[in-house]
Amino acid sequence: MGDTGFAVRLDGVTKRFGKRNAVDSFDFEVPRGTICGLLGPNGSGKTTTIRMIMGILHPDEGSVSLFGSDPDVTRRTKVGYLPEERGVYKKMKCLEFVTFLGEIRGIRRGEGRKRGLEWLERLGLTDWADKRVEDLSKGMQQKIQFIGTVLHEPELLILDEPFSGLDPINQDVLEEIVRDFHAKGTTILFSTHLMDQAERLCERVCLISDSKKVLDADLRELKASERKGVVAIEFEGPDAWLQGPEIDRVEAVKGGFHLILRDGADHQTILRRGVQSGVRILRFDLVEPRLHEIFVRHAGAGAVGSSGMPTGTKLGTAAAGGA
Amino acid sequence: MMWMNVWAVIRREYLQRVRSKWFIGATILAPVIMTALIVVPAYFASEGERSARDLAIVDGTNVLYERVADEFVEGGWTVHEERWRADVVTELRQAAADGSIGGFVMLDQLTLETGEAIMYATDRPSPIRQLTMRSTIARAALEYQLEQRGVDARAMLAGGELRIEMLSGEGSQLDDPAFGVAYLGAFFLYMVILLYAVSVMRATLEEKTSRMVEVIISSMKPWHLMLGKILGVGAVSLTQLTIWLLAGALMFVSGLPMLISARPEMALLAGVAEALPGPRLVLLFVGFFVFGFFMYAGLHAAVGAMCNSDEEAQQAQFPILMLLVVPIIMVLNVIQDPMSPLATGLSLFPLFTPILMWARVASGAVPAWQIGLSFVIMALAIVAIAWLAGRIYKVGILMAGKRPTLPELYRWIRVG
Repeated sequence: MGDTGFAVRLDGVTKRFGKRNAVDSFDFEVPRGTICGLLGPNGSGKTTTIRMIMGILHPDEGSVSLFGSDPDVTRRTKVGYLPEERGVYKKMKCLEFVTFLGEIRGIRRGEGRKRGLEWLERLGLTDWADKRVEDLSKGMQQKIQFIGTVLHEPELLILDEPFSGLDPINQDVLEEIVRDFHAKGTTILFSTHLMDQAERLCERVCLISDSKKVLDADLRELKASERKGVVAIEFEGPDAWLQGPEIDRVEAVKGGFHLILRDGADHQTILRRGVQSGVRILRFDLVEPRLHEIFVRHAGAGAVGSSGMPTGTKLGTAAAGGA
Repeated sequence: MMWMNVWAVIRREYLQRVRSKWFIGATILAPVIMTALIVVPAYFASEGERSARDLAIVDGTNVLYERVADEFVEGGWTVHEERWRADVVTELRQAAADGSIGGFVMLDQLTLETGEAIMYATDRPSPIRQLTMRSTIARAALEYQLEQRGVDARAMLAGGELRIEMLSGEGSQLDDPAFGVAYLGAFFLYMVILLYAVSVMRATLEEKTSRMVEVIISSMKPWHLMLGKILGVGAVSLTQLTIWLLAGALMFVSGLPMLISARPEMALLAGVAEALPGPRLVLLFVGFFVFGFFMYAGLHAAVGAMCNSDEEAQQAQFPILMLLVVPIIMVLNVIQDPMSPLATGLSLFPLFTPILMWARVASGAVPAWQIGLSFVIMALAIVAIAWLAGRIYKVGILMAGKRPTLPELYRWIRVG
């Protein structure tokens, strides 16, 4: 088990549906204990990648390893997998349902019931324990699914678009639980197309666009390296101080200007020049690049929110090719 | 670990089904309601009509009373003979008015010649009772007349007898041919095998329609899921069959005598009870059901895995349905000539065995080795079907979209 530092590792993985490459020579690693975000627009290959990790699809080329070995059933039961296509057994009672999901992953029924009750209480669903799943609202069903995903205390959580369909309050609840699992040492891999969410939660991000990996890095390092030097300023007075070798160009933005600095330039020099020139500086602010901008910068503006993307890979074509 | 998750699936299938309204309705209420429908009115009838069934029989012929008395008693009446005397009618009218008897029947010379008799009754008997009474009296008269000519009328009117002497000596120890048991049993087998095999198909579709398939298949082998589903539904079917058989047995052991005493016109049912299969046949019936269920459940599981909706599956199961219908079409021929080479051959084709071998066993003398062989063949067929269905299931369960064509299916089986 502990023979590698990676919970998940993909090596040159390609998956074709018909002639189209759904995932194209993909290298990807999730180090143990990290929260890793798989980011990309709809149809970029996130779900296909996750299905290959879970052994539901098989790659046409390359290899997938889970905890350092083939993703066989024994290893997969150590994963808590919340698929994009979320289902429930409607006629089952909530507690029975989550207990059942624990049981097929090796948690005895008594233990499963105990944990299930604890989780239901934590998510405010105690009163629903003996109600049928079909009687719950969509949001509550999603919580039940989540409990089913984590009941067996997996070493790795794989969550495919876990936040979609949840209201902001429950998104926060879920985020907090994900953080708790992270604090306990659980490895977490989740896919999302919401950059803000990823920015808040992730330690690592993997950006994919159009079936290809664009970027795969530690988020903090990424941001540091991507900080191209953008300074937001507001001032009163003449603008002569904005002429200088450090400044590539000036962009007018709402309520002021963005100074785009040249590589290696020191913003401190500019600030000093401004103060000396006697202008009244109201704001001088180093701008962190947002994940969204980084993504656009690397994948091209067309890749984000493009409506021309094929949406959601359907299982059908997937299995037909993956037998 | 492996058995734990199979066990979890069995448990889930079993409990979900056994708790469903359908199961409770079909299993428990159906026999209860059926029994109640027959027994309750009969019970009340037996309370209300007790006095009405106390009959006096005035026999002017002196030969008819002893011939009709037994059959009247068998039909639920209490009878006593009154001697013919001048004012017997007036006396008996008075007794009927008092309520000490329910009525009286007059038999005289005319009865002997034409079968005509007169009944004085406080309540008009039901048409069926009238019919029973009429035929009893007419037959008694006919018997008497024929006996006068030296004919054993009773034996002849009972339908004569054909004694079979087995030349081969083989199988003579087996049950008497019982057409009804063979025929109805075959139909019942067809119904229950189909019913529960289709349940397995639906159960397979459940993961797809509920979109649980990814979660389940990522945690357990498809083969284990299929096994759990089949065993779960199988356990439900045995529960249901057991309840039905016990209810039926109870009906015949305690319900029927009560019924006949209350409703004499239903005495014919007593004959049915005698024709009921013995424990050996019941055991074979359950055996044929269990083996048949496993074969067809495997096939239906594979069909379920290929399809995406109940409607689609119903179409796709057609070829399998034909495999069950063929023996039902053949069953009459097989019952008529259970030892013919055709009947023997067909009954040893495993998918036909449950229905046709049952029909042969119930209707004639099938050598024990053939029965044993048929179970061995079915067991081998189950293994083969499990292998085949498991492979189709493995690929199909994750499949959505178009149903596979035959070449695609072949590829699934090859790579599965």
